[in-house]
Amino acid sequence: MNGAILRKEIHDRISDIGEADILVGIPSYNNARTIGHVVKAVQTGFAKYFPDKKAVLVNSDGGSTDGTMDVVQQTSLEDFQSVLLHHRVEPVLKIATPYHGIPGKGSAFRTIFDIASALNVKACAVVDSDLRSITPEWIELLIKPLFDGFDYVAPLYHRHKYDGTITNSIIYPLTRTLYGKRVRQPIGGDFGFSGRLARHYLEKDVWETDVAKYGIDIWMTTTAIANNFKVCQAFLGAKIHDPKDPGADLSAMLYQVVGATLGLMETYTDAWKGIRDSEAVPAFGFQYAVGLEPIQVNTERMIERFRLGTRELMDIWKIILDKDIVDFLLKLGKTETKNFFMPDEIWVDIIYSFAAAYHRKVIHSEHLLKSLTPLYIGRTASFVINTWESDARDVEEKIENLCVHFEQKKPLLIKNWS
Amino acid sequence: MGSMFERLVVEPLQKLLEMLIQFLPNLFSAVFILLLGIVISWISKYILTRFFKILKLDELSDRSGISKMLSRGGIKGSFSTLLAKFISFVIIFAFVIISLNSLNIFAIENLFEKFFLYLPNVFIAVIIVIFGSMLSNFLGRAALIASVNAGFKTSGLIGKAVKLTIFLFSVSIALEQLGIGKETVVIAFAIIIGGIVLSLSIAFGLGGRDIAREYLEKKVKGAEEEKDEISHL
Repeated sequence: MNGAILRKEIHDRISDIGEADILVGIPSYNNARTIGHVVKAVQTGFAKYFPDKKAVLVNSDGGSTDGTMDVVQQTSLEDFQSVLLHHRVEPVLKIATPYHGIPGKGSAFRTIFDIASALNVKACAVVDSDLRSITPEWIELLIKPLFDGFDYVAPLYHRHKYDGTITNSIIYPLTRTLYGKRVRQPIGGDFGFSGRLARHYLEKDVWETDVAKYGIDIWMTTTAIANNFKVCQAFLGAKIHDPKDPGADLSAMLYQVVGATLGLMETYTDAWKGIRDSEAVPAFGFQYAVGLEPIQVNTERMIERFRLGTRELMDIWKIILDKDIVDFLLKLGKTETKNFFMPDEIWVDIIYSFAAAYHRKVIHSEHLLKSLTPLYIGRTASFVINTWESDARDVEEKIENLCVHFEQKKPLLIKNWS
Repeated sequence: MGSMFERLVVEPLQKLLEMLIQFLPNLFSAVFILLLGIVISWISKYILTRFFKILKLDELSDRSGISKMLSRGGIKGSFSTLLAKFISFVIIFAFVIISLNSLNIFAIENLFEKFFLYLPNVFIAVIIVIFGSMLSNFLGRAALIASVNAGFKTSGLIGKAVKLTIFLFSVSIALEQLGIGKETVVIAFAIIIGGIVLSLSIAFGLGGRDIAREYLEKKVKGAEEEKDEISHL
C-alpha cells in the first residue's frame, strides 16, 4: 500500500475495519445534489445482494465546498424492509476522505485503489457521483462477476443513438481493433475490478501524469485488457446523469480522451501490434430496451464548422493526412448538406493518420488533436444525416461496420506507426 | 642633381622596399592562415553535414517547425546542411580575422576590437529573433485552431494577427538589444499595436454593431445559443 497519500485518520479507520470483502468507490467534486441517491443505491445494493459480505463505501472527494462529504456521511436507508428480502448481517462501513495529489478523477481513483489494497478487498467497483439512473442492481452486476473469476467488469448501457459519439466513432473501434476485445463502453465511467487488479493499478507509475487528471477510464480498461486480466461486461440499463457543463469545450474533451488513448498505444505497442482480430467479451445482465427521449441536433451548423476547418486548417491537415484524403476533404467542404457524407474508410484513414502523426510527433500533440475537432464534427454530422431514420439496432450495425473497417485497415496503422 | 634624385626617388623607394620586406612575412603568414582556414572550414563542413545527419537533426527541425520557418523565409536546403554551412562560414570568418590581425595594421586592429565588443549583441539578437519566430508560429497556430474550434469566421485573421504581433515584439526586443533606436523601436511598436487595436475597435464598432449588441445581450440577459444535445463521451 502506498500509505503516503492517505491521511492519518483514514489509516486509523482502516486499522479499525481490518479487512473487507467488497469496496465501492465514489469520486466526487461538488456533487451534494446527486451523491445522496448514489450512496443509497450502493448501500441497498450491499444489503440486497451481498448481505453476508463485509462492505465498505469510499467517497474520494476533490475538495467540495457544497458539503458533498457530509451528505455521504449522513445518508442512510431509512426503510430497509421496503427494498430487502433479508436483513443485512454485516454493517455498511463508510469512509469519506479528500484525496491528495493532482486534482482530477484519476487521483480520486488512486485513493480508492489505495484503500482497497489496504483493506485487502476481493472485489471493488467505482460509480460516478452524478448518476440519476443507478439502482442497487448496478452493484450486483459490477461486483458479482468478480467473485466468479473475472478481474474487470466494463459497463454496457442503452444509450440514445447519438449519445457517446466520441466513444462510438473513435474510442470503441480503436480500442477493439488494437487490443482485440470488444468492450463496448471502454470509457463508461462505472467499472468493477478485482482486488488483484486494484493492486496492479497502484503499481503503475502514472499518478503524476495526465492519467491522474483525466483519461483514467480508458487507462483502466486498456491496462486490464493489455495485461491479460479476465474482462467481462455488465448490462446496467440506461445511463442518465446530471447534465454536464454546456460550455464544456469539445476540442478539450477530444484532446483529453483521444490523447489518453493514443498515449496508451505508445505504452502498449508490443501488446497491440501482434493482434489481428477481435473477440466478443462475455456480457452479464438482463438486456432490455430503454425508452430514451429524442434529442436535438443541428447538422447544418455542424457542417458549417467542418467547412470552416477545411478553409482554415488545411495547411495543418496536409502535414498529417495523405493527399487523397486532403482532396476528399476539400471536395466534401463544397458539398451541399443533403449530400454530405464521410465514408467509414475515409474516417478510419483520418484516425490512423492522426495516430501515426501523434507517434511521430509531427506537430505539438495538443495542436494535432485539437485540429481533429472539425473533422470529428464533420464525421458526426455525416453519421447523423445518414442514420436520421434508423433505429438503435441499425445504428449499432453501422458502428459494427465501422469497427470492421478499423480492423481491416490495421496493417496500414502498423506500417505507418513503424 | 644626383643627390637630389637619390633623396627624392631612391630613398623613398628604398624605404618602401624595406617596409615591403618587413611586411612580406606578415602578408605570407596572413595568406597562409587564410588558406588554412579555407581548408579547415571545408573539412568541417563535410564532417558536420554527416554528423548532423547521424544525429537526425533534420527530423528534429521538421518537428519543431524550423524547416518550415526557413522555407517560408525563402531559405532552401536542409537544416543540417545550412547549419554546417553556417559553422564553416564562422570558421572562415574567424580565420579571416586572425589573418588580417596578423598583418599588424593599427586601423584594422581598432576596427576589429569594436566589432568583437559588439558581436555578443548580434548573437543575442539573432537568438531572440529565431525564438520569437518559433514562438510566433506556435502561438499563431494555437490561436488559429482555438478560434476555428470556437467557430469564429475570422479565424485565419486571428491566427495571423497573433503570429505577427509576437514576431514584431521579438524583433523590437532584438533591435533594442542591438541598440538601434532604442526608444524609437519601443514607440514604433506601441504605435503599431495601438493602431491595430484601434482599427479593430473602430471596425468592430462600425461594422459589427449588431453583432456586438447581440453578443452583449446574450451575455447580459443570459440568452443562450441553442445547443446540440449530443453527449460526446
